[in-house]
Amino acid sequence: MTDRTATVGDAPDDSGEARYCYCAVSLHEGVEPGPLGLAGVEDEPVRLLAEGDVGLFVHDCAGLYDSADPTEVQGWLLSHQAVVDAATERFGTPVPFRFDTVVQGDDDTVRSWLTEHRERFADVLTDLAGCSEYRIEVLVDEETLDAAIVESDERLRELAAQRDESTEGTAFLVDKQYDKRLNELRRERRAARTETLGTRVAEHAREVQEPDDPTTTLGDTPEKEGAVQARLTALADEEGVDAIGSVLDDVADEAGVRVRFTGPWPPYSFVPEVDDGTA
Amino acid sequence: MEPRRDEDDAIVDLLDCILRDGVILQADVIISVAEVPLVGLQLRAALAGMDTMTRYGLLTDWDEETRTRAIADERAPPTRLE
Repeated sequence: MTDRTATVGDAPDDSGEARYCYCAVSLHEGVEPGPLGLAGVEDEPVRLLAEGDVGLFVHDCAGLYDSADPTEVQGWLLSHQAVVDAATERFGTPVPFRFDTVVQGDDDTVRSWLTEHRERFADVLTDLAGCSEYRIEVLVDEETLDAAIVESDERLRELAAQRDESTEGTAFLVDKQYDKRLNELRRERRAARTETLGTRVAEHAREVQEPDDPTTTLGDTPEKEGAVQARLTALADEEGVDAIGSVLDDVADEAGVRVRFTGPWPPYSFVPEVDDGTA
Repeated sequence: MEPRRDEDDAIVDLLDCILRDGVILQADVIISVAEVPLVGLQLRAALAGMDTMTRYGLLTDWDEETRTRAIADERAPPTRLE
């Protein structure tokens, strides 16, 4: 049976009960706080736990979801996202939780924790209201990019000429130098593009971040057409996103450049840490 | 240009984000903050490269018991844990 004595600050209970958390939402007036009519991870029924004007979507579970099978994990992530999407549609911008955020304990544990953090969540939800996350990736055809780099760099042209005049052995070494220089310039070019784009997008966004390169492989990640020249994620409202779209139109006008502009997504990259000071 | 959600498997980009970002609750009712990574151990080992794990201190943060359990749980670990 459930351990009703568990509270925040106590050691996690050992009842084996746990709650998987999807997102927090604002329960403003006129919104139906009923079920989303949608199953969550592993087809578990998703419920809303409400504390005042803040709600938390959860399902009952026994512990962490864990698998070494990327396809299974991908399925879980899609289910997680589907719940957050449905919550967004009904309640507006949520505070999305990271996959596999699991509270050890029963509904009372979650409620008491939520009560303690209700004000903080309400502030964050108010702050994020009307905004979504957008992801931007600028891809450049490598041949076009390299041609432009070679044309603009004297040192590369010198090395190319030197290579053509060299014997086979020397040419090999010169080739190495050429490649090193080209790689340096590619890196510089990428950094410059990211900075320029970041500045332009930031004029219309609430916040801009340069995300790390993807660190996970989920099996069937599609091949990218071209080299990534810039990758940004922006938090913007509807007005801002129109202006960002215009900036990206300019960027995509350049020969050999393709822009991927995706969203709106829940603001995964822009939620602050919620800390109860006990960890 | 308008943002889209259906272009070139756009969702695939987001999946990495869902694994890494979003609210992390630094609370002791969460499984778990101080000793074990917030997502399952097999999942981390399977998905994250060693560079990533080391960069985020995931290996150094694990205590001995956690490592032993992680290794015992995985008969054929896709990534070496030590």
